[in-house]
Amino acid sequence: MPVIEVDHLQKRYGEKIAVDDVSFTVEQGEIFGVLGPNGAGKTTTVECVQGLRRPDGGTIRVLGLDPVRDRTEVRQRVGAQLQESQLPDKVKVWEALDLYRSFYRNRADIDELLTDLGLAEQRNTYFQKLSGGQKQRLSVALALVGRPEVAILDELTTGLDPQGRRDTWDLVERIRDRGVTVVLVTHFMEEAQRLCDRLAIIDKGRVVAIDSPAGLLTRVGTEHRVYFRPAEPVEDALLLASPDVTGVTRYGEEVTVTGTKDVLQSVMSVLNGRGVHYTDLRVEQPSLDDAFVALTGRGSRTAAQSPTDGRSS
Amino acid sequence: MSALSKLIAVEAKLFLREPVSLFFVFALPIGLMLVFGLPQRAGTAADTGQHAEQTFLPSLALALTIGMLALFTLPMALGIYRERRVLRRLATTPVQPGLLLVAQVVVNLVMGVLGAVVTATAVRFLLDQPAPANFAGFVLAFLLGVACLFAVGLLIAALAPSARAAQSIGPALFFPLLFLAGAWLPRDRMPAALAAVADYSPLGATVDTLGAAWAGANPELPQLIALAVTAVVASAAATRFFRWE
Repeated sequence: MPVIEVDHLQKRYGEKIAVDDVSFTVEQGEIFGVLGPNGAGKTTTVECVQGLRRPDGGTIRVLGLDPVRDRTEVRQRVGAQLQESQLPDKVKVWEALDLYRSFYRNRADIDELLTDLGLAEQRNTYFQKLSGGQKQRLSVALALVGRPEVAILDELTTGLDPQGRRDTWDLVERIRDRGVTVVLVTHFMEEAQRLCDRLAIIDKGRVVAIDSPAGLLTRVGTEHRVYFRPAEPVEDALLLASPDVTGVTRYGEEVTVTGTKDVLQSVMSVLNGRGVHYTDLRVEQPSLDDAFVALTGRGSRTAAQSPTDGRSS
Repeated sequence: MSALSKLIAVEAKLFLREPVSLFFVFALPIGLMLVFGLPQRAGTAADTGQHAEQTFLPSLALALTIGMLALFTLPMALGIYRERRVLRRLATTPVQPGLLLVAQVVVNLVMGVLGAVVTATAVRFLLDQPAPANFAGFVLAFLLGVACLFAVGLLIAALAPSARAAQSIGPALFFPLLFLAGAWLPRDRMPAALAAVADYSPLGATVDTLGAAWAGANPELPQLIALAVTAVVASAAATRFFRWE
């Protein structure tokens, strides 16, 4: 039985349709990504899953329960980390954990949790004295303090520096290793590619695609690219002769060869076969960014940087 | 420990870690009384009417304590909790976010009572004021005054669009109420119409009923009723309009 089933979910705020038609299932023990630009309806979708909002249409089952009707039971078993949620300035780390722990039936050991999340030294620190990464880890700790079966993590790494982001990714994998099913809401393609077993791409309130990261890349057929600077001229026709090569373009001295995943071997065999020397060889694998653009017809980066706040989405 | 008792314990710690609210509750009322009370005690005050009543100043000090908690600290704390999405965060747990409001009210109430005891004791010994003569009436007036002012505070918390707004609405309401209570101009010198309104305003009625009971008389029933009605209406409106996010 899937842990979460969302079937034709619809949610409006007045005239505005936040979620038009979203369906997906999340299986036990996986990291499931909900990916899309700000305002796509990601947060509204997971808020409906948590029972924080009542859907206008469609059905949701979480651990076989209705998140609105069985809200208390769902909340006992689903931990949530909210986007941009803060704590009072002068609450100490252990106090916050001890407080939230008292809300649940199954209570995690606080010291163990603090050690796991790298907050052991901050046990007696006020919330306001924590760094951005530490605040985020505390927020995750609060989501885990009730030993949930499912953890919903919304925009976990927004506002973190690259190191903090990577640490947080390791953390998400450790959560999954504890047997917790993770739903990860994000607008970072790199994050989704690194962490998710499967993901749903949501755009304008609809699911555009659901697949594994690799499956999405195959599906959109994004090309691999090889770049190099040959020391002596190479004719396009030589490169294009290989069935793995689909195109050759040149920018100044640099040659770009596009093709299937075997394009590098083809290029190398041509260059080595002809004894052509080359410099600055690099390979670009297709990224989820490319897949996202192909699927939604727009760039994720521009969407990610748009000033509109995703909070109400 | 249950969720509510934990919440109350944490809220109490947070309150005690905030020097400003401690000053409001425990230091400011006594300070005001000493500043204004000592000349009176020295017998230099030639006032007659409201300000000449021996129980006016201590009653005003108590009303100040409650009023500052209810109109300053409570709405601001709740505004911050909403802004920081603490209430929203609580809604994702098995606990109702309303419990946090309960905890806030309980903590502010307890602090109000402690502040009142401290202030009353200080009055007793520093200004040679007798203890409240009609103790039951005094407690009743105190409780109704607290209920009325806290309900108004919750209404501010419900209606204020932001913590910053709550921070300005509280004082903007507090000082006119203090004026109506007769803090500056004694009510017997106000125009009759204004004085009539003032008698039934939250702080005015609180000061009068506390003062009457302190002096040993029975608090005026219409004033007690005014406090109770305001408490019910304001808390009903607060419940109706409270936004969790």
